[in-house]
Amino acid sequence: MRATENNQGSFLNRISIRRNQIVSMDVNHEQELQDLDLFQKRVSDRFSNLFSPSDESPIAGAGETALLSIAWLRKLLDVYLCCEAEFKVLLLMGRDPAHISKAPLDRLVPELLDRAVKSLDICNAVTHGVEAIRHCQKLAEIAVSALGQKPVGDGQVRRAKKALNSLIAAMAVEDKDGIGGKFSDRAWSFGRKGGAGSASSKDRTVGQFRSLWWGMAKGWSAARQLQAMSSNLVAPRGAESTGLAQPVYIMSTVMMFTMWALVAAIPCQERTGLATHFPIPRHLSWAQPMIGLQEKIADEWKKKEKKGSFGLLDEIQKLEKLGFSLTEFAESFQFQAESDRLEEVATQVAELAETCQKMEEGLVPLQQQIREVFHKVVRTRTEVLEVLDQSGKVSTPTM
Amino acid sequence: MEPPEDANLGLDEAEEIILRWDSTASEEAREKMIFEGNRDEVDRYLLAVDQIQRSISSVSISDDQAKVNSAIQIAMARLEDEFRNILLIHTSPIETDTLTDPSSSIHSSVGAARDSSNSVSYRSTSSIREIDLIPSDAVIDLRSIAERMISAGYLRECIQVYGSVRKSTVDSSFRRLGIEKLSIGDIQRLEWDQLETKIRRWIRAAKVCIRIVFASEKKLCEEIFDGVGTAIDDACFMETVKGPAIQLFNFAEAISISRRSPEKLFKILDLHDALMDLIPDIDVVFESKSSESIRIQAAEILSRLAEAARGILSEFENAVLREPSRVPVPGGTIHPLTRYVMNYISLISDYKQTLNELIVSKPSTGSRYSGDPTTPDMEFAELEGKTPLALHLIWIIVILQFNLDGKSKHYKDASLVHLFMMNNVHYIVQKVKGSPELREMIGDDYLRKLTGKFRLSATNYQRATWVRVLYCLRDEGLHVSGSFSSGVSKSALRERFKTFNAMLEDVHRTQATWLIPDSQLREELRISISEKLIPAYRSFLGRFRNHIESGKHPENYIKYSVEDLENAVLDFFEGYPISQHLRRRSQ
Repeated sequence: MRATENNQGSFLNRISIRRNQIVSMDVNHEQELQDLDLFQKRVSDRFSNLFSPSDESPIAGAGETALLSIAWLRKLLDVYLCCEAEFKVLLLMGRDPAHISKAPLDRLVPELLDRAVKSLDICNAVTHGVEAIRHCQKLAEIAVSALGQKPVGDGQVRRAKKALNSLIAAMAVEDKDGIGGKFSDRAWSFGRKGGAGSASSKDRTVGQFRSLWWGMAKGWSAARQLQAMSSNLVAPRGAESTGLAQPVYIMSTVMMFTMWALVAAIPCQERTGLATHFPIPRHLSWAQPMIGLQEKIADEWKKKEKKGSFGLLDEIQKLEKLGFSLTEFAESFQFQAESDRLEEVATQVAELAETCQKMEEGLVPLQQQIREVFHKVVRTRTEVLEVLDQSGKVSTPTM
Repeated sequence: MEPPEDANLGLDEAEEIILRWDSTASEEAREKMIFEGNRDEVDRYLLAVDQIQRSISSVSISDDQAKVNSAIQIAMARLEDEFRNILLIHTSPIETDTLTDPSSSIHSSVGAARDSSNSVSYRSTSSIREIDLIPSDAVIDLRSIAERMISAGYLRECIQVYGSVRKSTVDSSFRRLGIEKLSIGDIQRLEWDQLETKIRRWIRAAKVCIRIVFASEKKLCEEIFDGVGTAIDDACFMETVKGPAIQLFNFAEAISISRRSPEKLFKILDLHDALMDLIPDIDVVFESKSSESIRIQAAEILSRLAEAARGILSEFENAVLREPSRVPVPGGTIHPLTRYVMNYISLISDYKQTLNELIVSKPSTGSRYSGDPTTPDMEFAELEGKTPLALHLIWIIVILQFNLDGKSKHYKDASLVHLFMMNNVHYIVQKVKGSPELREMIGDDYLRKLTGKFRLSATNYQRATWVRVLYCLRDEGLHVSGSFSSGVSKSALRERFKTFNAMLEDVHRTQATWLIPDSQLREELRISISEKLIPAYRSFLGRFRNHIESGKHPENYIKYSVEDLENAVLDFFEGYPISQHLRRRSQ
């Protein structure tokens, strides 16, 4: 009698909850496999596009969207949002809520949520980093404005030199005892002895820059955060690789890659030891474009790591390169420079102006997009938590 | 103070003054600051700058032009340093004694120190209190420098310097207010009671930040930069406060996305209310286009807090429904779940003003036709005109009873099942009656229903225990017709007495350990028992004692007097074992 009662109960449950699903289990299963395959393929396609992006975006300007430029990052965030939306459908739509609390999802989904919360802090850190970049942009714009005047006179060059020194100092803050240190003195026209400010000029300048944009909690580290996020990221094997464990892994990897790329590109608090790899198994076919991108970015990072780089963002790299070059020019400027030198300088100034323009147009939208990612992640997490709570099986407190 | 109109400097003289103060050129120029010196020097310098700037258009020869341009740059560099220096001299984080919540202060200084030429007035909320961050003569100096820098095209430098100095001042003020930089991860890891303290502190600090610190910074920007160029005061203001504002709101945001659990409801409502209170001030202080993102973020956080509150309530309901403990409370007394839930909804009724606005949808209940045995039904037709919040509270009571009903089934003794329900539903009724807000929301109709329920439980209890006991004292079956007796079967009678005594002793021993915490209810139930038991026993004794007393060992059968029984009833529902068994107190 007991058995009948139970059957009766679950039969009714099936009727009321899965009203819209076809009764045949086989058809369901087919459909599900197709959906999983489609998701995987779409992820792969999107990252292929990022690997060799076409020229459709109006933001890109003439030519391709350079890797790790503002425009490229915005495309990356678009990709992330698309993957995220599709993943949510896959995980939640038209399903019995209890399925999320069955193995292996009962472990994998809370891990994913934990990663999601960690990514929120990275979003915040990157947002602060964008503010820092805007600061640098404004310094560069002073130089552009000064050196853009014709003819370039003594006064303009001095003005530009001052701004460029501040620019280089600002970008070198992460670099402990490198080149940047020399320039920070010149943010002031002269050293102040004593006075109301008390601290020495160098410390104050560096301190100012630091307080300006290290907005995260003391001791917080972007590198450690990423490490924590990837520590339990393991590709599902064997029986687990069918079913929802696979898209959960794919989405986690997409999340990891996106956050990692953002941190590499944009100045973030504490990136030393930024793991240049988080392990994506090489044999995964859908992951090939991502692996390719990862290698490229990691190479760049290693090159710049010793000097200490403000960030791999293409526009920052340009600012660094042009900043140094124009500073050299300014240092050695005689009253009348040779005309071809001037021409070369004019070209560089034009390039700097163009870079500033890209920043002017792209940085605020980038911040808005990061904010959108923040919202989406919070929303999805809330919805998944609600489903988990409904099924009444949340045993361990997840984040 | 502007230099006197009639004073005139020749271009050469002006140039000489500028060059004299070139800090890259001479030690002396580095040692002293113009604006710290005597006012004549200041006036002459400013005059010189004006002269140089005027002469850009009039100078034609390229050599002279180059000299002028160079002089301008030297002057601007100098002015930038002077600007920075004036700001630094007057940099001090806000004194903590001024840091009281402005909305609680009686006076609000309505722009008393403001320059009358400033026509900007945004005092639409009386809770904003701007204070003077920099004395007015310094402000005038800053303004005179800013004007010149901006008209010479050195706007960016001006904004940078201003922003960097003022921003670190705001940072210091933040530290004094106890505003911490915590990551979302940090907040997730903290215990809730630690977070409650931080929330309280944040609420106090946020009020000061927005109403005093930010408002005063904005006023300062206006005083220095208003009218000097387009929206420069805005740019400087954002440069100063954007970072700190984001940092301030990040805490509230982190709380709004923290994992939901019932104990968090009330602090989240506090945070919600505090933020809602601040929104008008935020909208005023951050009214410009460039500060839109801050207004948006504040609104987003508010909406998330509201959502969190709704989610927590929903989760609470779920938790009440599915609370799984099976261990029966000893003695059938009030279950901890009942206490917890009733305390919780009492608190909810305290917050009804906010929650009435936030809770707009009815509870999702099982419908009568779902056949789902794990959820009770509730029809709303009979609950017309109630707010959604009230419906939720009633629903919570419904599911509480449902859950308790399930728990009651774990008692082996059927009487205890009923006693347990009686106790708990009675407690619910008492709690509702004890809170006017709660009572008003639940409504007297439903209250009557609940009352009926616990009375029914009382009746069921009595039936379950006492029917069989009283059955012993019935008349039928005792009379026989036969040749030797006078119509009463002595053996049957003896059986009856023995059974009655045994049952009574058993019930007495057992039910003394049961508990009815409410003294009035306890008394009522005892009286009700007595009213049935005592007359029945008295009458039984009266009719049949002779038959027993005329036989052997009557004391084995008539063990107890009516008085004994009356005393025994007093032991019921006290909640502890009787120290002595039912004794014959009277012989």
